[in-house]
Amino acid sequence: MTLFHFGNCLALAYFPYFITYKCSGLSEYNAFWRCVQAGATYLFVQLCKMLFLATFFPTWEGGAGVYDFVGEFMKATVDLADLLGLHLVMSRNAGKGEYKIMVAAMGWATAELIMSRCIPLWVGARGIEFDWKYIQMSFDSNISLVHYIAMAAVVWMFTRYDLPKSFRLPVTVLLGLCVYKAFIMELFVHVFVLGSWTALLVKAVLTGSISLCSLFLYIMLVHSN
Amino acid sequence: MLEEASEVFENMLKSSFPLTFIVFLPAVLILVSPLPAEAAHEFTVYRMQQYDLQGQPYGTRNAMLNTEARTVEAEVLSRRCVLMRLIDFSYEKYQKVIRQSAGAVVIILPKNMSTMPQDVVQQFMEIEPELMSTETIVPVYFALEDEDLLSIYEQTQTSSSSQGSASAAEVLLHTATANGFQMVTSGAQSKAVSDWAITSLEGRLTGLGGEDLPTIVLVAHHDSFGVAPWLSYGADSNASGVSAILELARLFSRLYTYKRTHAAYNLLFFVSGGGKFNYQGTKRWLEDNLDHTDSSLLQDNVAFVLCLDTLGAGDTLHLHVSKPPKEGSPQHMLLRELETVVSSQYPDIKFSMVHKKINLADDTLAWEHERFGIRRLPAFTLSHLESHRSAHRNSIMDVRSNVDVKKLARNTKIVAEALARVIYNLTEKSAPGDLQIFTEQMQVQEQQLSAVIDWLTSQPRAAQLIDKDSSVISTLEYIMGRYLKDIKRHYVKADKRDPEFVFYDQLKQTLNAYRVKPAIFDLLLAVCIAAYLGAMYMAVQNFGVLYNLVRRVIQPKSKQH
Repeated sequence: MTLFHFGNCLALAYFPYFITYKCSGLSEYNAFWRCVQAGATYLFVQLCKMLFLATFFPTWEGGAGVYDFVGEFMKATVDLADLLGLHLVMSRNAGKGEYKIMVAAMGWATAELIMSRCIPLWVGARGIEFDWKYIQMSFDSNISLVHYIAMAAVVWMFTRYDLPKSFRLPVTVLLGLCVYKAFIMELFVHVFVLGSWTALLVKAVLTGSISLCSLFLYIMLVHSN
Repeated sequence: MLEEASEVFENMLKSSFPLTFIVFLPAVLILVSPLPAEAAHEFTVYRMQQYDLQGQPYGTRNAMLNTEARTVEAEVLSRRCVLMRLIDFSYEKYQKVIRQSAGAVVIILPKNMSTMPQDVVQQFMEIEPELMSTETIVPVYFALEDEDLLSIYEQTQTSSSSQGSASAAEVLLHTATANGFQMVTSGAQSKAVSDWAITSLEGRLTGLGGEDLPTIVLVAHHDSFGVAPWLSYGADSNASGVSAILELARLFSRLYTYKRTHAAYNLLFFVSGGGKFNYQGTKRWLEDNLDHTDSSLLQDNVAFVLCLDTLGAGDTLHLHVSKPPKEGSPQHMLLRELETVVSSQYPDIKFSMVHKKINLADDTLAWEHERFGIRRLPAFTLSHLESHRSAHRNSIMDVRSNVDVKKLARNTKIVAEALARVIYNLTEKSAPGDLQIFTEQMQVQEQQLSAVIDWLTSQPRAAQLIDKDSSVISTLEYIMGRYLKDIKRHYVKADKRDPEFVFYDQLKQTLNAYRVKPAIFDLLLAVCIAAYLGAMYMAVQNFGVLYNLVRRVIQPKSKQH
């Protein structure tokens, strides 16, 4: 709408990242370049994913409005590469568990923010037409920050050698949820014909519960021994 | 294996910057690939007429539009784009809007005019000439209704009517929920079209015998007129006249192919252009034929000129003359034959002669025959309208559904019968009044008429839109060529220094309606976001509280292990 509106959206999208970075103490660890490296890995993984998708999943040519359940599921499966990427980042950083998790998640999420939200905001929110979707997009980026922190935590737990047997199942389930979250959301929106605000709310609730679960597991794991 | 991969990856990152660049640049480019353009609502809008006739400007003078939308209910209209619907359109409202110096007017017409109540249509037809009679500075556009446009209208209406009578809190809430619309046209400012050629077509059937045969001229103008050129389909005026002329050409060309029925009259058919702009095509044609050339059918022995205009409806027929025909003249003969045919074959039709003198002081001529009358050619116009002032002839409401092909066929047949009676001199050969010539194989074909009229009314035919390459002209030329000989085109271009008519472009534009919010909304949003970020900051700062809470919930359990 105006430059002011763009500023609003940008502030809404970026400040939570900044706050998280500052308050989590990452700045004290001098973790900036580590985060940048994590971001670079994000780019690399996305490129690989895209090449893979383009090679093996030609565009779906079904009728309009038809939801290609299997196709979408297969595409979501490719997101497993994200887990691999996160693991790659974390395995390269020595340090405490929470430090590794935070670096990986921050770098990952920030790279995603810059790559997939910056340009639409710049192009769209500055345009003459007003649309709530840019505010929604900014909120969505906040949600994805939480999502990636939780996801990194779950990946970290999964790759630990000393993971107790009883943890194996819940962690795997959470891992699956993290990967297929976007797919589940899409399914929700498609089946229940949700409006954009409701969809955002559902997404927030879903992400919140996943991260709460992973927090529980994390605390249990960290403080059990 | 993962470790190895990460090592490779790390080395790649550290050692060779160019390589990473090559790898990541495409990735970046792919990720930021251009997005689809922001889809605002887009409409096609049709601008009101803009033309100069004899130095006098008419219509709207402006084409640029970039203002916020309002409806008439709003208190302040100045420099706003006012949306009006045809249902509640009135001249008083329009004048009020113009007086309040609105930035533009967009009048929303229903998609299908024939569904409108008749009184609304009638009222609008009467307003149409008023709208154009004076020049309007602001752009005036017409849009065809669709769902998007209606929803924009309704949203604008709610926001317009709720203004000024609410508390500050209500206004604030309102700004967050309601939408404003910024209307922007994509085109440039309108400018005069230079060297516009108006095209007319001429064709003839030569009579049998002698050099000096009398000539009957049949004329109809092909262009249409309405408040917006792109919306003027001109069904009754004058697609009906053109289709009647083409049918007459077909019938008489058949008669003229047989020696026994080849009459001693030349028939000259003229489909003129610029009929709605003071009959420019006819004027130039007469000048060319009478002043510039030596031999022309028009120069010697013209029996009469019959102009056909608005023949597609009604149960009346009026022969408009500027001078009552003298007893014994061919003109009088036709009048008498028309009366005979109507009274003996179609007694339910009211036929009359309307006499109106040519008023040279008027800006425009009333009927096409007056162009001929000025040049002292005996002429008249046949129409179902009683007065040239009828709004029917110059309205965008004159669409295909106004023409009844049955009535058009009947009127065409009357003209054909009367003409035949004149050229074969049947009355003096004491043929009965109800003798029908055009029956069976020779009958007036309704399909033919309806095909021509369907085709003509399928496109707007305003004089500004029909240039010499237009399909209307070439198709007309083709159809005439099938029946007539010596098809000629005549072009009229306005004089460069003292133009008699000037047309302007930008008559059809795309209107973008962008959803916008007032500036106060941005401030409000900024405050809300600041509050949210503050809460966010507190939450992140005090994350330890949640952490400890969760830990306390779990700890007793883990102690039990």
